[in-house]
Amino acid sequence: MVVLMSGARIVFDRWDGRYARRMEGVRSSATRDLFAAAGQSDMVSFAGGMPDIARVPNELVLAAAREAILDHGAEALQYGSSEGREPLRRIISGLMAEIGARVRPDDVVVTAGAQQGLDLLAKVFLDPGDVIITEGPTYLGALQAFSAYQPRVVCVPMDERGMLTDVLEQRLRELGPQGAKFIYTIPNFQNPRGVTMAPERRRRLLELAREYDIPVIEDDPYGRLRFEGGHMRPLRALDEDVVYLGTFSKIFAPGLRLGWVVAPSAIRRKLLLAKQAADLCGSSYAQLTAEGYFSGTSWRRVLRHLVTAYAARRDVMLAALAEYFPAEARWSMPEGGFFLWVELPSFLDLGALLPEAVEHGVTYVPGSAFYPDGRTGRNCMRLAFCYASPDEIREGVRRLAEVLEDRLELYRAFAAADALPPQDADREDVRA
Amino acid sequence: MKEKIAVLMGGLSLEREISLQSGKRVTEALTNLGYRVVPLDLTPDLVSTLRSERPDAVYIALHGKYGEDGTVQELLEFLGIPYTGPGVLASTLAWDKGISKRLMRASGIPTPPWVTLTADAFKHMGAASALDLLADAVGGLPVAVKPAQQGSALGLTRVADDDALSEALLTAFSCGQTVLIERWIEGASIAVSVLDLGDGVTALPPVEMQPKSGLFDFSAMYTPGETDYYVPARLDAAVTAQVGRLAERVHTLLGCRHVSRIDMVVSPDGMPYVLECNTSPGMTETSLLPMAAQAAGIGFQELVELLACAPLHELE
Repeated sequence: MVVLMSGARIVFDRWDGRYARRMEGVRSSATRDLFAAAGQSDMVSFAGGMPDIARVPNELVLAAAREAILDHGAEALQYGSSEGREPLRRIISGLMAEIGARVRPDDVVVTAGAQQGLDLLAKVFLDPGDVIITEGPTYLGALQAFSAYQPRVVCVPMDERGMLTDVLEQRLRELGPQGAKFIYTIPNFQNPRGVTMAPERRRRLLELAREYDIPVIEDDPYGRLRFEGGHMRPLRALDEDVVYLGTFSKIFAPGLRLGWVVAPSAIRRKLLLAKQAADLCGSSYAQLTAEGYFSGTSWRRVLRHLVTAYAARRDVMLAALAEYFPAEARWSMPEGGFFLWVELPSFLDLGALLPEAVEHGVTYVPGSAFYPDGRTGRNCMRLAFCYASPDEIREGVRRLAEVLEDRLELYRAFAAADALPPQDADREDVRA
Repeated sequence: MKEKIAVLMGGLSLEREISLQSGKRVTEALTNLGYRVVPLDLTPDLVSTLRSERPDAVYIALHGKYGEDGTVQELLEFLGIPYTGPGVLASTLAWDKGISKRLMRASGIPTPPWVTLTADAFKHMGAASALDLLADAVGGLPVAVKPAQQGSALGLTRVADDDALSEALLTAFSCGQTVLIERWIEGASIAVSVLDLGDGVTALPPVEMQPKSGLFDFSAMYTPGETDYYVPARLDAAVTAQVGRLAERVHTLLGCRHVSRIDMVVSPDGMPYVLECNTSPGMTETSLLPMAAQAAGIGFQELVELLACAPLHELE
């Protein structure tokens, strides 16, 4: 709805009705409106996936920024090349090598966050009505970026080992060779499910993509935020045709808006044309600052601290869930990243429950927000453990449990009378 | 100078989006008519804003919880601000479908047989062990299962076999604490809007809804093209007159004023059954009250002005 608010007063959009039709599919969520309407001060938010930027030392950033201006002022404040500065692309090439992918600096296009990469790829590949394949649920921001180009989104479900490749195969068979413009996947600590794609699924996904001749877009914002378990090689390391999206937002700072796309040269050429139309080139100043920041070794220590802090918060959230959450709830055990996914009995509509949660001083994102149809996943929610402090996390989970408990009492009454709906009666009462 | 009117919309209910659409259209209409309009949302700043703005009247374009259940009406009476639509008591009675159906049955107004069950009856008294009796208690399947206190058909399920009953109940309970299990009457879905603006209670022409999916649920109601509308409804003259009189009786019975919309089903043999009374009917592009008014020769702007002026006239 086209409304801007200040206090209780509503101000309508006077240009409503004159916007392009493609914007109709790009919707602000009812959730966001609700938060705006709630305006409560001691709200615990599990909604946004914001990095804990306070842990990045100001003096390190300041040194890099000062150097960018003092030593490279003329370049920092000038237009740059569309593909991004060569020194930064060399750093990116090094970062990619560390995760097992051989990437030349020339294979890289620097973008304004990986988000711009998503927009540019959609712009380059999609006509209205084109089919794309994503995981279901998938990153809300990707759905938003894609939706402006009006594709038909086919979702492939996941389990604890990532995308179900046998379902993918079924979909691909239905769609036929080149039946989709691309497959979009987040293999590591998937947003919002929190699961990581197992190595054999990665290989199978690539085989299928080859067989049906469909490009794969690998989005990997959280790959380096692993708390435990072994590193898994990215899809790009297994297949050089994979388009890889990386970002400095989680390993440095989202405020610099720096991400990158690694793509085969033909796709890269199209991306550059689209990039030029979008913003000519990225910010040279931001790129120089990142070059300075990543030239030493301090960033590794900062990243280790960040990962340790996120791991601790995940542990606090898992412990709080185990302590407070009802037995009927199941949740993922992310080995890294920002999010975990909670599933409740099928009759619970967590979108409908959100106003009540907001009244109780806690927010989350209802699962349905991560599906293009806006309906699937209603009994699920995404909880971000990255931003709230450990104390807030415990309190927030406690409040949330209170809201759920009330609804679940009813569910238990049905269970006690052996009157549960069939699919819920089949549910194992276990924690994932 | 024309009066200052605050239009109340949005809120925290499940029908927030719909209410914002209603409120926006009402705001535009009143602005075009030259009123000073203050569009307001239900936020913690509402009362302070109302006190500083001092509107002459409030137009209630809220739907669902708080806006339609008497909460806002009670608040506005306390603040001494006249408002549109039914008062506290009528809002409270109409909001609870179980209560209003009891009143209707006692006055001989036909309404489908039903059972009302609260969540507490399930949680604390083992009502789930009597699910097998439920369908027979209202005359057999199919039945409608819906929250007793929610607008816009949120949480509504048509249940055709016993296996689906518990799921439907749980779905309805996710929208509210009381659930209505009602005999499903096959037939035409009809909405009769009633105007009552100081010169008597008058039913507008009935509107017939034919959802393409077969069920007039939330999505059929608000997605353009998902429902075909017939204004006036495809009823013969005698039945048309009868549903009009029924609607007027329900409006009066519940003590409504200014406006209400009575939803009914007319069975193939021409027998009307009243389902519920809405005290803050939608004013969106696909809403039924503006459609009915149009059929009676009252344009949208005129309708809004009639309603907005009703509380002002009562002051005089």
